[in-house]
Amino acid sequence: MSTTHMSVPTSPSSIRYDHALEAEITRLSSAIAQVPELRSMYRPRWLAIQLLEGDEQLLAEVQSLPAAEAVLRTLEASSAHLRELFGEDVDVLLTDQRYSFVNSLARDVLTHPAERRRTLSEKIDRVVTNRVLSIPIFLALMWIVFKVTTDVVSPFVDWIDGVITGPFTNWVVALVGVVGLSGTWFESLLVDGVIAGVGGVLVFVPVLMSLYLALAILEDSGYMARAAFVMDRLMHTLGLHGKSFLPMIVGFGCTVPAIYATRTLDNEKDRILTGLLVPFMSCSARLPVYILLAAIFFPEHAGLVIFGLYLLGIVTAVLLGFVLKHTLFKSQTHVPFIMELPPYRVPTLKAIWKQMWERTASFVQKAWTVIMVASVVLWFLMAIPLRGSGTFANTELDNSAFATVSRSIAPVFAPLGFGNWEATGSLVTGFVAKEVIISTTAQIYAMDAAAVETEAATFAGELAAIATSFVDATVETLKAIPLIIGINLFPEEAEAEPSSLMIAMRDNFAASSGGHGALAALAFMVFVLLYTPCMVATAAARHEFGNKWMWVSIVGQLVLAWVAALVVFQGGLLLGLG
Amino acid sequence: MLQQVLREFEHAREPLNLRDLAHKLGVERSALEGMIDYWIRKGRLKDDSAQTVCSSCGSGSACGSEPQGCPFVGKMPRTISLVTPDEAPVSR
Repeated sequence: MSTTHMSVPTSPSSIRYDHALEAEITRLSSAIAQVPELRSMYRPRWLAIQLLEGDEQLLAEVQSLPAAEAVLRTLEASSAHLRELFGEDVDVLLTDQRYSFVNSLARDVLTHPAERRRTLSEKIDRVVTNRVLSIPIFLALMWIVFKVTTDVVSPFVDWIDGVITGPFTNWVVALVGVVGLSGTWFESLLVDGVIAGVGGVLVFVPVLMSLYLALAILEDSGYMARAAFVMDRLMHTLGLHGKSFLPMIVGFGCTVPAIYATRTLDNEKDRILTGLLVPFMSCSARLPVYILLAAIFFPEHAGLVIFGLYLLGIVTAVLLGFVLKHTLFKSQTHVPFIMELPPYRVPTLKAIWKQMWERTASFVQKAWTVIMVASVVLWFLMAIPLRGSGTFANTELDNSAFATVSRSIAPVFAPLGFGNWEATGSLVTGFVAKEVIISTTAQIYAMDAAAVETEAATFAGELAAIATSFVDATVETLKAIPLIIGINLFPEEAEAEPSSLMIAMRDNFAASSGGHGALAALAFMVFVLLYTPCMVATAAARHEFGNKWMWVSIVGQLVLAWVAALVVFQGGLLLGLG
Repeated sequence: MLQQVLREFEHAREPLNLRDLAHKLGVERSALEGMIDYWIRKGRLKDDSAQTVCSSCGSGSACGSEPQGCPFVGKMPRTISLVTPDEAPVSR
């Protein structure tokens, strides 16, 4: 391809193009000048440039004039000649030269300081997107996020739990009594089904709010774009498509939009590959499961365990992507891209609140729809006896339809340390949505627990207790903030008594794993991290990639989750851990 | 100038940052944006920052029923990439 040159004239109104271009412009201008209708309306040089650039409206106007036949012939010849000479469309040549002209003019008239002053964003980026520091900074920020979600907001989790299992349940029981249904299966459905199931999930609203708050701050400040840039660079270095990490960042919130976000990838193979990897990014629905189990089995290191799980998800996605890209999804397509990094800014309260509220509202909405329906269905499955002499809603949980079916699947998980029907059942229902693992667990242990006599309290007294405990939770949360950076300003307080749910789960995992409950719980969390996210994500995968890839995704994730959990449990036993 | 922008895309070995590219080419960032927009209009580059839509999410899904779209789709950075030969318009 030839290159073109243009001289900067003294008057900006008369741009001089490259010689060859000027020759053709002049030739066409002369032809135009011969047509009185055109000459009277337009300056010939201007019209010649517009026609060479392909202005469709002007071309149509010229074509409508019988006298302009020579102009059209000249235009065709000039365009063909220039295309042949430069190997490029004429409009590109003209625009290119105009940009060169503007650039040289700007260089001539603008005075820049000898040393360019860097903006604050540039200075921050020198550190944040630095090749060596960028990944440790990304991991450090993730660590802070999980410290906040585990340690700082836990007093509010306990507060909501106390409100739901205490006063709220009491009020519902009292209301049921007023309508004369006390002690019936309907009361059990409300208390052991709906309240235990939906309430068990709503308890984690503060955790989700804190996660969404952190994500909103990272997004609004401009950091998330840098995280995507840094991880893209890493992915690209490993031979994966650079743009793969953008959907993965979305996947930290929810897998479903992340699967749709793979549309930004051009190549079909890259798109399917990314769609297969996205579910390994731990979505926010899985966080309550980690929080609950980490609080039971790793109370001192809950943040570290959860951080490790998120990291494991990223590492699994990157390594699996690397393997698949060099085997099944081999493609040579190299699609470089540029990314616009917005300047850093102080996040606005309004924007952060909006994001946090919308996402939390979405979570709560899901609790009242999907999780409530799942809880009701589950209650019925737990109320129907398949063994023993019990009757509907009056049977040993161990003899229920749910326990019987779950028990038949449980041996599959025995080598992983959690081959009991309770854990198996929650994993099966978790296919509906990951929060359902929590609601199922809460329901199982609520149905199983003996009724605890509580001290009668007045409505006003309970309201006062709710307000007092809220203040206590706020104080505890404020005290926990310095702990994020390891500063303990307050004396150690006695650990709160574990709840009956926590004790029951601890005993259950210990029993199914031969006394290695912590190891079995870790294997369970790894399984939850890696197996099929939820039925909506599966439907999204089917919609985007078709039936075949949906099944590959489901089966692949189940196999990988099983193998990874096996490695954790059996490997841990071999190493004498747990 | 314009050709140089395309060449930078073609020869890039890893993702580039718009600001660094402007610095490398010795042009103002606004001028580079103008040139990129030109190539996008010409169908040689494409802007991938369009928001994704969860069109098939049913009412059971939290995102499909949101009036303002899925709340989990955050503001992702604008990315611009080269149009591959398979995607190029026939008329070009």
